[in-house]
Amino acid sequence: MTGGLTYEGVSFGYPDGPTAITDIDLSIPPGDILLVVGTSGSGKSTLLRCANGLVPHASGGRFRGSVTVAGRSTRAHPPRELADVVGFVHQDPEAQFVVDRVESDIAFGLENLGGDPIGMRRRLEEVMDALGVAHLRDRNPTTLSGGERQRCAIAGALVTAPSILVLDEPTSQLDPQGAEDVLAAVARLNADLGTTVVLAEHRLERAAPIADTAVLMTASRIDREPAAPELVLAEYPGAPPVTRLGHLLGWNPAPLTVRDARRWASIAELPVPRPQSGPTFGDSLLAARGVEVHLGDAPILHDVSIDIRAGAVITLLGRNGAGKSTLLRCLAGLIPARRGTIDGTAQRAYVPQDPSSLLFRPTVREEIAETLRLLGRRDPDAIEHWLDTLGLTPLADRHPRSLSGGERQRVAIAAVAVGGAPVLLLDEPTRGMDAASRHALERAIARHTDAGGAVVLATHDVELAARCAHEAVVLGDGEVVAAGPAATVLADSLFAPQIAKVVPGFLTVEQIAAALEPA
Amino acid sequence: MHRPAATPRPFHSVAWLVWAIAAAASVQLAPSPVYVALVVGISWVMVEAHAPDGPYRQAFPILVGLGLVFGVFRVAIAALTTHNGLHILFTVPQATMPDILGGFTVGGSVESDIVLQAAAVAFTVIGVMAVFGAVNTIWSHYELVQSTPRSFYELGVVVTVALAYIPSTIESMRAVREADRARTGGHAVRRGRILRSILPVLERGMERSVALAESMDSRGFGIRGPARADVEAGWCVLLALLAFGVGFLALIGNGATTALICGIIGTAALVAGVWRSSLGVQRRTYRPRQLQAADWLLMGVVVLSPLALGVLTAADNPTLAWYASPVTWPRFDPMVAMALVPLLAPLARRAKLHADSPATEMSAAHS
Repeated sequence: MTGGLTYEGVSFGYPDGPTAITDIDLSIPPGDILLVVGTSGSGKSTLLRCANGLVPHASGGRFRGSVTVAGRSTRAHPPRELADVVGFVHQDPEAQFVVDRVESDIAFGLENLGGDPIGMRRRLEEVMDALGVAHLRDRNPTTLSGGERQRCAIAGALVTAPSILVLDEPTSQLDPQGAEDVLAAVARLNADLGTTVVLAEHRLERAAPIADTAVLMTASRIDREPAAPELVLAEYPGAPPVTRLGHLLGWNPAPLTVRDARRWASIAELPVPRPQSGPTFGDSLLAARGVEVHLGDAPILHDVSIDIRAGAVITLLGRNGAGKSTLLRCLAGLIPARRGTIDGTAQRAYVPQDPSSLLFRPTVREEIAETLRLLGRRDPDAIEHWLDTLGLTPLADRHPRSLSGGERQRVAIAAVAVGGAPVLLLDEPTRGMDAASRHALERAIARHTDAGGAVVLATHDVELAARCAHEAVVLGDGEVVAAGPAATVLADSLFAPQIAKVVPGFLTVEQIAAALEPA
Repeated sequence: MHRPAATPRPFHSVAWLVWAIAAAASVQLAPSPVYVALVVGISWVMVEAHAPDGPYRQAFPILVGLGLVFGVFRVAIAALTTHNGLHILFTVPQATMPDILGGFTVGGSVESDIVLQAAAVAFTVIGVMAVFGAVNTIWSHYELVQSTPRSFYELGVVVTVALAYIPSTIESMRAVREADRARTGGHAVRRGRILRSILPVLERGMERSVALAESMDSRGFGIRGPARADVEAGWCVLLALLAFGVGFLALIGNGATTALICGIIGTAALVAGVWRSSLGVQRRTYRPRQLQAADWLLMGVVVLSPLALGVLTAADNPTLAWYASPVTWPRFDPMVAMALVPLLAPLARRAKLHADSPATEMSAAHS
C-alpha cells in the first residue's frame, strides 16, 4: 500500500507533558476519507500531526512506534521532505499565509519543491479550480472571509499533488456557510482526484456524511477499529442530532443526514407535540429601542429594538456581517448608539469572540480571580461557583493557553461572568467547542437564568439556539427580520435545527425523549 | 514561459524601490520645508492612486505619525539643550547634569531660531518617513524578495512574514483593549493595564508564529539547504556590508581615501555575490515578474528628480535649504518644484486598486 498512511504501535508524549497518544495502530487505505472524532484533549490533533512528521520533528517529546506514509518513515523525514506526499491544513485560517497574494501563496509549496514551470502553472490552475478559489487569485488573503481563506490554505497544501490531505479541525473557526464550502470542496477532491483525507472535526453534521470511516479517540487511545461513521457515532454525545434521534428510536443503521432521517421518519411512529405553556420571565433588565449604530460612516444597525428580561435566553441569528456582534457590543456599552435608547441599569458583561483577547494569567483560577481583583472584590465562593458551573474545576490549575479552543472559551466566559453582571452577552460562544464544552456552556446558561440573570447569545449554531434559547431575533443587513419565541422563529426557517426538519413541532432530541415518556 | 501573473500593481516593486530612493534623495537635496511638504504631498497622492486594498494601507499614516513623534522629541531635546540662538522665546528652570553624565545643561532659555531649525530638520525626517510609508502601502514585499539573489530568499521570506504581523498585531491590540474594558463592565482599572494589554497580544503572536512555522515546514520551506554557490554569495555580501559600514565610518571621520577604498571593495564584493548566486541552483519561481519597458521608463524618469536637484545644488540655488537664523519665511523657487515633478511619473498608469466587483460581492456574502 504505497499511497496509504500506516501507524504501527505509535505512542507519543509532549515534552514535560502526559502521554498524548498511546499504542495507535491504524491503517488508512488510499482514497478513503477518515473522520477522527473525540473530545478536546483526546489526542486527535497529535494523531494528525504524526502524519507528516510535525510530531515529533516540530514538537520534540517522546515518540515510539512508526508512522509510514507513501513508503517513507516520518522518523527519517522531517515535514518539509514529506510536503510532496502529505498536505497539512491547520485550524486557524489566519496563520497559514506566507505571501500577500492568494495565487503566489498557493504557489509557495511548489516553488519550494521545484519542478518544471509549465507543469507548475497547470497544476496551480487546476488546484484553484478544484477548490473554487480562482476568482480570488489577486486578493490579499487577509481581506478574505474565513471559509475562503481556509479553501485557499487547502489549495496551498494540495498544490504539490500530495496523495494524503490532513485537515486538523479545518472548520472550527468558520461560520456554517464557510464550513460547508470547505467540506464540500474536500469531498469533491476526494471524489475527483482520489486524494486520501484524514479529517478531525467537532462539527459532525456536515463532516460525518462525507466520511467513509470514522475512529473515536478517548483518553489518548483509539477505542476500536475504524468503522462506518454511523456505527462509531451511534452513542457519541457529539453526534449530529439526527444520529442521536435514530439511536433513541432504534433506527438501525442510524441516519447521518436529514435526508436519511426523513426516510426513517416516514415509516416510523412519531410523538405528537403537546401544547406547552411558554416560560414566564421577570422584569426587564435592559431594553434597547430604535437603536441605530454606525461604525465610521457605515451604518451597521438600523432601528433595532430588543427587550432583555430576567430569566430569558435570547439568541441573535443572522449571517456574518448582519450586525450581531455590533448589537452585542452596543448593548455592552462599548460602542455608542447614534440614535435610540438603551434603558435599564442592570450591569452587563460581554465575552468577545476570540477568548485569547482576554487571557493572560498563568492559571485558570487566577484568570477568573483577576476580574474580581480589578473590581476590588474578594469572593472565593464566586470563583469556585463559576469553575464548577462551566466544568472547569479539573482544569483550574492549567495554563489557559494550554487549553483547547472550546475550553478557553469557557474560561473567558467564567472570567467575565464572575463579576456578577446579571446580563451576559456572549459572542459566538461555541466556536471550536466539542460536545462536552457545549454541554457545560448550556448548563451554565441555565444556572445563570435560574438565578434571575439573562443571556444574549450571538451565534451561528442553530442547534445551540434550539437547546437553550427562549427567544430568537434574526438580523439581516442590520435590521430585525424576525423576532419571537425561539420555537416559532427557529422552526419555520430554512436553517431550522435538524430535528425540526425531521419531526415538525420539536427542536431537540431531548424534547422528543420527553414526549415519549408516558405522561 | 508564461506571462507573469496579473496584479493590481502596474509597476514592479523594484521600480517603486527606485522611486523611493529618488524621493528620499530629493528630500535630502532640498530640505527646505516647502519642498519637503511637496514630497509629502506627492507621497500621499501615490498612496491614493496606487495602494491596493489590504492591511498595508495603514502603513502610510502610521509611519508619518511615527516620524511626527520623533520630530517632537527632536525639537524638545534641541530646545532644552542647545542655547546659541538669538531670540529668546521664554526661559524654563535649568539643571546641570553631573560630570559623569556629560556635565551639560538642560533647560534654561529656549530660543525661537533653535526651535524652528530643529523643526525644519524634523520635518525632513517626516518627509523620508512619508516616502517610506507610501512605498510600503504600494509595493509587494514578496515581489521584492523574489527579485533579490537566491541566497537572500529564506531570510527575505522571514522578513516579509514578520512585516505581515504588524497590521494583525495592531488589530489584536484593539480587540484586547476592548476585551479589557468589557471584562469589568465598563469600569476602567488603570493599574496594570499595560500588562493586561500586552501579554495577550504577545501570546497570541507567539501562538500564530508557531502555527505559521509548522505550516511553512509542511509546505516544504527550506527543503534544500543552500548550495555551495549560495554560501559563497552569502559571504561576499557579508564582506560588502562590512566594507560599506567601515567606509561610512571613515566618511564621517573625514578619511576620504579609506572611504573610497572601502567603497570600491564593497561594490566589488556585492557584484561578486550577485554573480555567484546567479550561478547557484535557481529556485523555481512561479510566474516571475520581469521588469517591463514601463518599469525601466519609470525608473529612468524618477531619477531625473535628484539629478536636477543635484544640478541646482551645484548652481548654488539659495532656496534649497532654509536657515532659521535670521528668521525668514522659506523661499520658493518654481525651478525646484519643477525638479520634483518627475516623482509624479507613476500617475501615468492607473492601478487596479480594488478586486473585481463579483469577487467582492461574493466575499461580502460570506463574511
